[in-house]
Amino acid sequence: MNMVEIIAVLAALFLAPIIGGLVAGLDRRVTARLQGRYGPPILQPFYDVLKLFGKEKMIVNYWQIVCAYMYLAANILTVILLALQSDLLLIFFVLAVGGVFLVIGALAAESPYSQIGAQRELIQMLTYEPLLILVFVGIYLETGSFKISEIVANYHQPLLISLPLLFVVMGYAFIIKLKKSPFDIATSHHAHQEIVKGVLTEYSGPYLALIELSHWYETVFLLGLCALFWHTNYLWMAVLVVATYFGEVLVDNVCARLTWRWMLPHAWAGGLIMSFANYFWIFVKIK
Amino acid sequence: MVDVVIGSCILVPIISGMLCFITGNQRIRAGIIVTTGILLTISSLMLFHTIQGPYLYTPDTLFGMNINSLISFADFALLFIILGIAFKRGNPLVILLTLLQIVPLAYFELKMAPHAEVTPAFYIDSLAIIMNLIISIIGSLICIFAIRYMEEYEHHLHLKKSRQPKFFFFLVMFLGAMNGLVFSNNLLWLYFFWEVTTFCSFMLIGHDKTEIAIRNATKALWMNMLGGVAFVAAIIFIYHNTQSTEYLSLQALIKHGPELMAALMLPLALLCFAGFTKAAQMPFQSWLCGAMVAPTPVSALLHSSTMVKAGVYLIVRMAPGYQGTFLSTMVATFGAFTFLTASALAVNMSNGKKILAYSTIANLGLIIACAGINTPAAIIAAVLLIIFHAISKGLLFLCVGTIEHAIGSRDIEDMRGLYNTMPAVSRITIIGILTMMLPPFGALMSKWMAIEAAATIPWVVVMVALGSGLTVLFWARWAGIFVSGPHLKVFESEGNEGFFAPFVTMFKGFYAKSKWKDPASIKVPLVTLAVAAIVLSLGVPWLYTSLVDPVLASYKPGLFIEPFKTNPMGLTSGAGAFYVLPVFLVSIIAYLAAVVAAKTKDHKVISAPYMCGEQYPDITQPKFRSHLNNWKDYVPANIYLQDIIGESKISYWINIVALIILIVLFGEVIR
Repeated sequence: MNMVEIIAVLAALFLAPIIGGLVAGLDRRVTARLQGRYGPPILQPFYDVLKLFGKEKMIVNYWQIVCAYMYLAANILTVILLALQSDLLLIFFVLAVGGVFLVIGALAAESPYSQIGAQRELIQMLTYEPLLILVFVGIYLETGSFKISEIVANYHQPLLISLPLLFVVMGYAFIIKLKKSPFDIATSHHAHQEIVKGVLTEYSGPYLALIELSHWYETVFLLGLCALFWHTNYLWMAVLVVATYFGEVLVDNVCARLTWRWMLPHAWAGGLIMSFANYFWIFVKIK
Repeated sequence: MVDVVIGSCILVPIISGMLCFITGNQRIRAGIIVTTGILLTISSLMLFHTIQGPYLYTPDTLFGMNINSLISFADFALLFIILGIAFKRGNPLVILLTLLQIVPLAYFELKMAPHAEVTPAFYIDSLAIIMNLIISIIGSLICIFAIRYMEEYEHHLHLKKSRQPKFFFFLVMFLGAMNGLVFSNNLLWLYFFWEVTTFCSFMLIGHDKTEIAIRNATKALWMNMLGGVAFVAAIIFIYHNTQSTEYLSLQALIKHGPELMAALMLPLALLCFAGFTKAAQMPFQSWLCGAMVAPTPVSALLHSSTMVKAGVYLIVRMAPGYQGTFLSTMVATFGAFTFLTASALAVNMSNGKKILAYSTIANLGLIIACAGINTPAAIIAAVLLIIFHAISKGLLFLCVGTIEHAIGSRDIEDMRGLYNTMPAVSRITIIGILTMMLPPFGALMSKWMAIEAAATIPWVVVMVALGSGLTVLFWARWAGIFVSGPHLKVFESEGNEGFFAPFVTMFKGFYAKSKWKDPASIKVPLVTLAVAAIVLSLGVPWLYTSLVDPVLASYKPGLFIEPFKTNPMGLTSGAGAFYVLPVFLVSIIAYLAAVVAAKTKDHKVISAPYMCGEQYPDITQPKFRSHLNNWKDYVPANIYLQDIIGESKISYWINIVALIILIVLFGEVIR
């Protein structure tokens, strides 16, 4: 490991949760404004998590502890691998580890709410996982590599220009991963459309704090993926990331939660059609 | 010396099988099986150790008899036995399929090419050695597991006369036939062993002699006989199209020159078809699903190390022969289609064995898709998947068998909270599940390779992507079910404190108190396979350089490019990298952190699951207050998507699409 890599790992470890927390704070503020409220202070998510860490440790089943830690570890690892500009597919698989343990943790508790949440989370994973693979395959077809380091080094124009439809497909996956309406089916930030707290029902205190922390890492990872689509210029990269996230918040506020029966076929059909169209475009361009 | 070892890999199981058949004493039979297992393991390791590069061997005589004639004779004897059974059962389809093999084969051996000499008869390279290791070690472990399993199994059935001698005769002989199959280079010999495995599986599936067992066994027979007919046709077409017996050697068939491509296309396609039937690809999936009526060791053997692996072995073996052709693309399409549809069907199963069965079919589809993609990286992916799938799937079947004996059900809904009552077996099952689905384990690593290799064929990669999403769904939910349940005080961890306590707990798990009571013949196979699944995943760099990489050397000599590079952390390819060690270390650290957190003093608060305040006072019982103040049991269940992709709903359409793919494949090949 050289110096740059060590700095990247440290930044991923310590900077990512700060950014993720700030994004969460901004998110809440923007959402409040969209709903005609004033909203909490930007640092509110940090206060919340710190408070949760101080609470009593309460669990239903010991496996929840294992699962909370595994979920956190997997999400940290995705951010670190992203910072090290590693293989996109490997990062994707590590992301799946987090998802799987979140589900196992929810299934461990014998509560109807967390069980339903777990089943729904599984269907959400089923929806976004193929879409993300298709996006990464598209990136490979365009750039000739799955390694971020090589994409950044050898490909000298924004990916967004050649992969616009795949960017939209990734948007679908983002909505699910960021737990935004209309696809916040497993657990939602909007109390009015939630049955208890879905997949997170049985987590409380410090373990809920761990999950919240993991979600911040996750957010940073997703924003990093988004940034990859305009890696040539930092200003435009920032614009793209901010615009995408604002778009997600907007969608979150104008949509109501849908059922998984609607989500699965529509996301797959839309995702497949757009992926194929984009692949076709890449092939035509190469020819 | 090597020749003796090769011979013993095939003959020892056959002879021990006969001994098992003769002896009536359970103890002696157990001794024979364990000895055979040890002998097979030693001889396969010896072959692995001594053979560097392809080893050619042509035995002339066996016990003073000419082997070629002996095998021809045995071929016909076997076919006539099957014909006899078919007549006895009055099954016209099987009669027809048997005759379709006997008549052409007789015509070929008596009229077309009498006394065809094909050298070398055995061709043993890295691929054969990998298969030999899988068959000998995993197969033996399954046979050892079967000793005690069958004892209990028959105890439940209250039989007047034990059927075990016959059972073990076929079970142990199977290993010999498989070893012969993977060593053979002479297609006629390969065909013989191919038919022996078909026959053995038929007898084993029908072991219980219930109506359903006989029906499913017959189904397995005719579907595999279909492959047998294709095999005979392939042999005849090879001879007819080239007018020489030279191409009856598998190696010659694969390494043919471009001028023979047109002549050998149809035989290659027919052999692939034989592989499809044996590997239970769509639309032949139903025989493998039906095979689970047999006792669990049979399923474990058929699904992990033998039978279905023979099908994919042949297709992977022949991959260089059809590289760059239309056939190759169709094989990839066909495999990917099976991977997607079998994964979808696995999602709506609640029967544990059926989930495993469909997952096997799916993985075989992925292996076949890799063979069809036919780049060096894809072949590596196929071989690694063969290895890791054999280990994890063998393990999972044995686990389900053990669980079924304990709880009397193989439904995954009945396995809720099994971690509380059978911690050891549950833990091993969870390991088996995680090694099938998560990084850094080998099965997922091969999937990584497969996706990277498939990226150039868009429709294949789409099917693989959708399929892998589905696999995550059914595996994750199964793993979660095991740990589901209330916190039971009985199993609370022991009070061993101190610095090393977390490490002790890490190995023992949280519930150290309950003892694992199963006998050694069940413990040893389970633990060995679980450890192998983890250790081999970590040792992937070693596995790759010492075993898998040499497979490529024979893949396309002269055009040899190494698709992957190893380093202690994992593998890197031209387009990507898969780090095994870091992912594993981070997981271990996270697990340790969890254990430490659970062990701290202040951690004593266990709460009831949330039920809107209507929870039953005793938190170990999942009940809630219903109307009229009644306590009602709360029953969770999984979403099986049956109304969308139910087995009965979509199987028909899947079979039709699979048939269309096959028709297109053959239509183009014949044209």
